[in-house]
Amino acid sequence: MAAATSTSAKPFDIVATYNELLRSDPDLTMPIAAIEALVLLLTHSPSSTISETLDLLEKSTAHLKQSIPNPIGLSAGTDLFQRYLITTLQRPGQLGPAGDFNAIRAHLLSNGRLFIRRAKESRDKIAAFGRGFVRDGSTVLTNGGSRVVASLLQQAAGEKGGPSAVRFRVIYVLSPAKGDVEGSSAEPEGMETVRALREKGVPVATIPESAVAYSLGKADVVIVGAEGVVENGGIVSRMGTYQIGLLAKAMGKPFYVVAESHKFVRLYPLGQYDLPIEQRVIDFKTEEDVADEATQQQQQAQPTPNVKSPDSSDVVDYTPPHLISALITDSGVLTPSAVSEELIKIWF
Amino acid sequence: MTSSTPTAPSPSPAAAGAAAPTTSTASTASPSSKPTKQQSSSQSQKPSKPANKSKDAATSGTAAGAPAPADGAPAQLTPAELKKRAKAEKAARRARERAERESGPAGGAPAGAATPGKKDGSGSAAGSTGGGGGSKQLPRRGSAQNTSQNGGGGSVSGTGAAAAGGLEKSGGGSWGSGESKSKKADDKNVAVFGHLYGQQRRTTVAGAGKEVHPAVLALGLQMRDYVVCGSSARCVATLLAFKRVIEAYTTPMGTSLPRHLTTYLSHQITYLSTCRPLSISQGNAIRALKLAISSIDPSTPEAEAKAFLGEFIDSFIREKITVADQVIASSAAQKIQDGDVIVTFAGSSIVKQTLLLAHKQGKKFRVSIIDSRPLFEGKSLARTLANAGLDVQYSLVHGISHAIKAASKVFLGAHAMTSNGRLYSRVGTALVAMSAKERAGGVEVPVIVCCETVKFTDRVALDSIVVNEIADADELITAEPMQQLTGLPDPAAVTASAADAKKGGGGGGGKSAAAAAAAAANAAAESNTLAQSVSSPLTGWKESANLQLLNIMYDVTPAEYVDMVVTEMGSLPPSAVPIVHRMSTNL
Repeated sequence: MAAATSTSAKPFDIVATYNELLRSDPDLTMPIAAIEALVLLLTHSPSSTISETLDLLEKSTAHLKQSIPNPIGLSAGTDLFQRYLITTLQRPGQLGPAGDFNAIRAHLLSNGRLFIRRAKESRDKIAAFGRGFVRDGSTVLTNGGSRVVASLLQQAAGEKGGPSAVRFRVIYVLSPAKGDVEGSSAEPEGMETVRALREKGVPVATIPESAVAYSLGKADVVIVGAEGVVENGGIVSRMGTYQIGLLAKAMGKPFYVVAESHKFVRLYPLGQYDLPIEQRVIDFKTEEDVADEATQQQQQAQPTPNVKSPDSSDVVDYTPPHLISALITDSGVLTPSAVSEELIKIWF
Repeated sequence: MTSSTPTAPSPSPAAAGAAAPTTSTASTASPSSKPTKQQSSSQSQKPSKPANKSKDAATSGTAAGAPAPADGAPAQLTPAELKKRAKAEKAARRARERAERESGPAGGAPAGAATPGKKDGSGSAAGSTGGGGGSKQLPRRGSAQNTSQNGGGGSVSGTGAAAAGGLEKSGGGSWGSGESKSKKADDKNVAVFGHLYGQQRRTTVAGAGKEVHPAVLALGLQMRDYVVCGSSARCVATLLAFKRVIEAYTTPMGTSLPRHLTTYLSHQITYLSTCRPLSISQGNAIRALKLAISSIDPSTPEAEAKAFLGEFIDSFIREKITVADQVIASSAAQKIQDGDVIVTFAGSSIVKQTLLLAHKQGKKFRVSIIDSRPLFEGKSLARTLANAGLDVQYSLVHGISHAIKAASKVFLGAHAMTSNGRLYSRVGTALVAMSAKERAGGVEVPVIVCCETVKFTDRVALDSIVVNEIADADELITAEPMQQLTGLPDPAAVTASAADAKKGGGGGGGKSAAAAAAAAANAAAESNTLAQSVSSPLTGWKESANLQLLNIMYDVTPAEYVDMVVTEMGSLPPSAVPIVHRMSTNL
């Protein structure tokens, strides 16, 4: 049986599935894509025992984490799914260890799908919670390409100037276009949201990251997205969020983070350099090193974009909890210190 | 007094008879009734008088106060008036309590020593100084009382003050001689921590109850002498001792084990707490044990019940401490990276385990141990780590600013974590944490606390004054570890002492050289030669006036200074302590 599992699992490439899922659905977040990939993995692999299932899951998770340059967001999903599996399997009754495994498996898969559907719905829930934070006549400063922030702002803008519509303005911080190596054709992340907001009649100003401190005086509130919410209530988010947080704190502007609760990660970074990923952001070089690199690039022209692109687009930083006013999640508006409580609830 | 007594009677017939009761009813908050005022005047005359004396004065005051309204409304008292009088009495009682409270610290403070001197000097003219002192000191005590003395029953105050003056004169005399002993003992307690001086720690097993088990007797003394020291170690040792107690226990006739064993254990616990106050972890463990005992069905056979309890204790130690320590060490060791400089304070066993584990994992890091007097718990930690092959730097707490400059992380052990996220640990911990977080360089050093959940408490600590432990102050003197290089064997010192001896022989005449050397040792403070190694300048601190020693055991580190608490249930921010505590106690 084990041999059969491995042969049938072989053709199923979890990494490719994960990447495919992310590409096919732009609304999908990393944790959800990871969970969906794992559910697909389970459907494809006819494992027959619990320990086999868990083992397979663990191996694929490790494989997936290794092959993705920044597995922080992803690991939130895989951890959650694994935890969910274990608690389901430990539960007494028909679906417990004593029950029929096929029934358990069917239950797991259906619940996994339910979980994914719920996770997708959570964005609307967050928007409902968060729209109260965008007050009439206020100016919101935001950054990045967070879909949750986009949906929150769009919902706050309301349906074509209806009675519930809030009149507000947006200062959108745009970072340089993704993968600048590939050429200037790619537009900066977040342009889509800018267009969508402008369509709804929301005045949007776009500024470069260097103008944040200059523009913050005109903003009333800062709302950002997050890739992962860590145990102490801080967030791991795209590079540049930390400095916005610092500036907002210095200027006394409220700094809200919008994140789904499935982005809560069991991770406790103590600072910027304590993240479990390698980021070559600060790269000291002498002229000699630059020359060396140039010759290397000439020798092998192909791999360079692969090396460069994660550096420029996927880098993250860590915003400590004391800079965050509140986290707007689908389980309510939380203070940073309440995040650990939520995490403990999930994990114990 | 001579000037104040003539003026006093004139307002008294009108004011004392009618005004005083009405004012007392008007406001209980500003105690303007006569007893109060008299109280305050007598109190100001002798700020450090003992409680019973003040009571005397107060009763005389109320006795004098009672007839006054009787003059105004003789014989029949309406319910309203009864109410008024009750109110006045209540105000008097309150004022008396307040006066006692105020006189308390005054007795302990150096000011208390100054006032009796003044009193003694004026003691010959007892009555007059009483009044004079009262009027002189009153402005300090608030204007409301001052006016009340002017307006309120002056006549009563006159007689009252005279009586109080008489009392006080004798009181002043006794204060100087009779009560000096108890006062002196009080003087040796630092006033702010006065509430922490309970009974002295037990020094021998003599007087311990006969039901105290020998294992517990031994453990008590070991804990007292810091042989068993550290929150976890004390908790484990207590549980193991109780295991032996339970093994040796037989249920008396006519009772059942769940009923009787808890009271039997209480004797052991009481004994232990007289040796040294129980730690939070001990308290939590004992609570869990008692819960387990009470959960036993009374019909269970005794052998079975005892086996169950033994098993319970073993599993408690295993789950809450042994395995918990391993989990904490492995997750805390993950936070140590190559090139780190770890600063730690005193000797926490869990920090030691963490550092050793990280070293075993092949991480290259340095350790800087900060230690403090009088326990020097960091010494054995330094020795253990150095033996294991770690790079260790050892310094005392006054070198903290240097040690923290190179630090990249701070690891701290805990005595307890309180529900407001504060760390209650060996005194000096807060200083280390503060140095790490408020470093002048700008970049702050992460402070990581390693703590088992058994040390969590639902208590809240706002400061380290309300809850703390005071150890024997003599520990500060006797722990004299320095082997002075310029000690007695040093030839120069010998000649110096010889010269002293010669001087002594020449001046005093007939003194032996040894006695002269002892005299030189006594005079060490001024001669400043060598004698510190013979006796600390602080010896005999109990006999010398104006000298208090404070040997406090713990302090409280604010939650803002703690970045992370590593427990066996995961890493938490300090704000999550109450949640985890709730969960771990409910399980």
